[in-house]
Amino acid sequence: MDWTRVLQVISAGLIMGGIYALIAVGLNLIYGTMRLLNIAHGEFIMLGAYTTYWLYTLYGVSPIISMFLVVLLAVIMGLVICRLIFLPIIKSSKSVAVLEGNSLLIFFGLSIIFSNVASLLWTADIRGYSYMTRVIQVAGVPLMYNRLIALGISLLICLACFLLIQKTMLGKAIRALIQGREASKLVGINDGFIYYFSFCLAFAMAGIAGCLLSMFYEITPFMGMPYTIIAMIVIVLGGLGNILGSLLGGFFLGLFETIGVSITSPGLRAILTYSLFILVILIRPKGIFGRGVY
Amino acid sequence: MKERTLSVSVSVIILTLALIIGAVCLPAPAAQAKDNITIGFSMALTGKYSPNAAGQMEAYQLWEELVNKKGGLYIKKYGKKLPVKLVYYDDKSSADTAVRIYEKLLSVDKVDLVLSPCTTVIHFAIAPLAAKYKVPIVGSTAASMKLRKIKNPYFWFVSNAMPDRQMRALVDLLKHLKIKDVAVIYAQELFPREQLEYLEPYLKEGGFNVLLNKDYPVGEKDLTTLLTEIKGKKPEAVIALCYPGGSFTVTAQAQEVGLNPKFLFELIGPAVPVFGPKFGKATEGITMMGEWSIHVTWQGAKEYLEGYRAKFNKNPDVCNSIDGYESCQVLEQAIEKTASLDREKIRDYIANNEFSTIVGPVSFTGSENRKTSSKILQWQNGEIDIVWPLHDATAKILYPKPPWPKK
Repeated sequence: MDWTRVLQVISAGLIMGGIYALIAVGLNLIYGTMRLLNIAHGEFIMLGAYTTYWLYTLYGVSPIISMFLVVLLAVIMGLVICRLIFLPIIKSSKSVAVLEGNSLLIFFGLSIIFSNVASLLWTADIRGYSYMTRVIQVAGVPLMYNRLIALGISLLICLACFLLIQKTMLGKAIRALIQGREASKLVGINDGFIYYFSFCLAFAMAGIAGCLLSMFYEITPFMGMPYTIIAMIVIVLGGLGNILGSLLGGFFLGLFETIGVSITSPGLRAILTYSLFILVILIRPKGIFGRGVY
Repeated sequence: MKERTLSVSVSVIILTLALIIGAVCLPAPAAQAKDNITIGFSMALTGKYSPNAAGQMEAYQLWEELVNKKGGLYIKKYGKKLPVKLVYYDDKSSADTAVRIYEKLLSVDKVDLVLSPCTTVIHFAIAPLAAKYKVPIVGSTAASMKLRKIKNPYFWFVSNAMPDRQMRALVDLLKHLKIKDVAVIYAQELFPREQLEYLEPYLKEGGFNVLLNKDYPVGEKDLTTLLTEIKGKKPEAVIALCYPGGSFTVTAQAQEVGLNPKFLFELIGPAVPVFGPKFGKATEGITMMGEWSIHVTWQGAKEYLEGYRAKFNKNPDVCNSIDGYESCQVLEQAIEKTASLDREKIRDYIANNEFSTIVGPVSFTGSENRKTSSKILQWQNGEIDIVWPLHDATAKILYPKPPWPKK
C-alpha cells in the first residue's frame, strides 16, 4: 500500500470537507433557527470570492486580511437582508410551511439578482489570482500552501463554531431555538437577536469559504450554485437543523468523495455522492446524526 | 329592451376587438429612409456559458465600433454608407430562449441580418431558423462533427476546431516531437468527448502507448488523485481535454503533485485571458487549441488587436473572441461586396467566395470552413504563439516544457 497516496487522498478530502462544512453550517444555521431555506447561500460565497479577488489584484491585500473585511461586509449584508426582508416575512407567515415556501422563493430571487448583478458589474469573465502557490511536503505529501492555509482556517473556524454552539450560553440559546421556537421564547430567549446572529454568522462563513476558494479555484458570477447544492446535501446527511451534524457531515462528504473517487474514477463522483444521499434518506431520513443529537 | 342592450354590448366588444386586431395587423408605415443596418443576435450574457460568451460579445462590439469608425457599409439601394447597429438580447445560456430571441429578431424587430450566438449547443438550436427565414447565419463559437450534418444552405461556421482536424494536428505534433507515451484525461462534455473520439484512433494508428485514459466531470474541483496516478505512470505527454475550469484545476494541481510532463496540452482554458495573470511563469510551455496569436499578420489582425486593447484594456482571448470577430468579417465582406442587404445575394456570396480574416483566408465547403488550418498554440514568455502547423507558426515550439517554477 502506498501510504503517501493514502495520505494525499485523505488530505484532499479534508480540504474539500473543511470547505463543505463551512458552507453547510451556515446554511443549516439559518434553516435551523429561522426555517428559511437559503438557496442564495452560494452567491455569498461568490461575493466573498470577488471581494478577495478585487482587493488582491487592485490593492495587493493578502486574502488572509481580506477575510476580515469579507466577514465585516457579510455581517452588514446579513443585518440588512434579515431586517428588511426576512423579519417581516417571519412575522407575517402563518405557518412554518408557508415560511419555508416563501423564503425559498425570495432566496431564489436573491440568488438570481446577486449573480446577474455580479455578471453586469464585473462581466462573466473567468477570474483568478495566484497566491501562496509554493508546494511543500507534509509527511511526504506535496501540498500547495494556499490549500494548506484553507484547510487550517476552515478547521479553526469549524472548531470555533463547535465551541460556540456547544459551550456558550448563546450556543445553548441557538440550540434551544432550533428545538422549539415557542418554548424557547417562553423561557426568555431573545429570538430576534438570534435571528440576526444566525444570519450574520451564516453569511460570514459563506464569505470566508469564498475567500478561501478564490485562492485556488476560478471565480465567476455563477460559481455559487454548485456549492449551495453541496451544502444542501451535507445538511441532509448531517440532519436538518443539526449544526454539529453539518460540521461532521461536511468532512464526511469530503472524505467520502475523494476516497471514493480515488478508488473508482473522478467520473463517478456525482454518482457516489447522490447514491450516498439517497441511501441516507432511505435508511436514516433524519440524517446520519439525526435531528436530536446535540 | 334587455336584448337590445345585450346586442349593443356585444357589438361594442366586437368593434373594440376589431380595432385592436386591426391596429396590430395594419401594415407598418412605409419604411423611412434607412439610417442604419440592424444586426441581431442572442448572447449568453448570463448563465453557464457566459464565461465563454464574454470574448465573443466584446468582439462583436468592437466590430460594430470599427465598422462605424470607417463610416459604415455601402449599400447601393440607399446610395450611401450606413452604420451598423447591434440589437441583442440575453439568452441566459438557454437554447430555447435563444430560439425565441431569433424568432423575435427576425419577425418582430425585423433586423436586416443576424450574427451567431455562443456555443455549439445554441448554434444547433437556431440553425433551422436560418432556412426558415432564409437569413444567412455565419456561425462562430461552435465546432462539432454534428454541425457538418446540418444540411442548411443558409448556415456556415468558421471554427477550425473540428475534432477530426484538431486532433489530427495534435497527433501530428506529437509525432513531430517523437513522443511515444501519453496519458489522456477528458471532461464529460460534448466537445471534449468528440475530440476524444478522434484522438483515440489517431493515437492507436500512430503507435502511441496510451498509459492512462480517464474521464472526470465538468466542475470537478479535485484532480490530485488522478494527477498523482498519471505522475506514477511517467508519460512524456499529458493531454487534458478540458474546459476552462478544468484547465485551472489541472494546472494548479499538477504543480501541487509535481506532475512535470515534457508536453502538456489543455484543450480550452489556457487561452482565456485570466490564465496568464493567474499562473504567471507556470504557463510556460503549456499548449492548447486555438486560432490566433497576437503575433499574426493576417488581414485586420493589427487593427483588431489595437482596437481591442484600446476598448477593453486587455488582449483578446485567442479562441472565442477570434471566432466571433471572424464571423463578423465574413458577413461584413459579403455585405460590402454585394453592396446590398439582400439575404439571397449575401447567402450566395458567402457560399461561393473566399474571405480574408484575422485568421487568414476563409472559405466554405458545405457549411464548414476548411480553408483555415487547425492549430496548436503554446504559452511562451507570457504570450501565446502558434506553434503548429509549421507554415502558420509564429514561434518555434518549446520542447520539452520546462518544469514548474519553484516559487
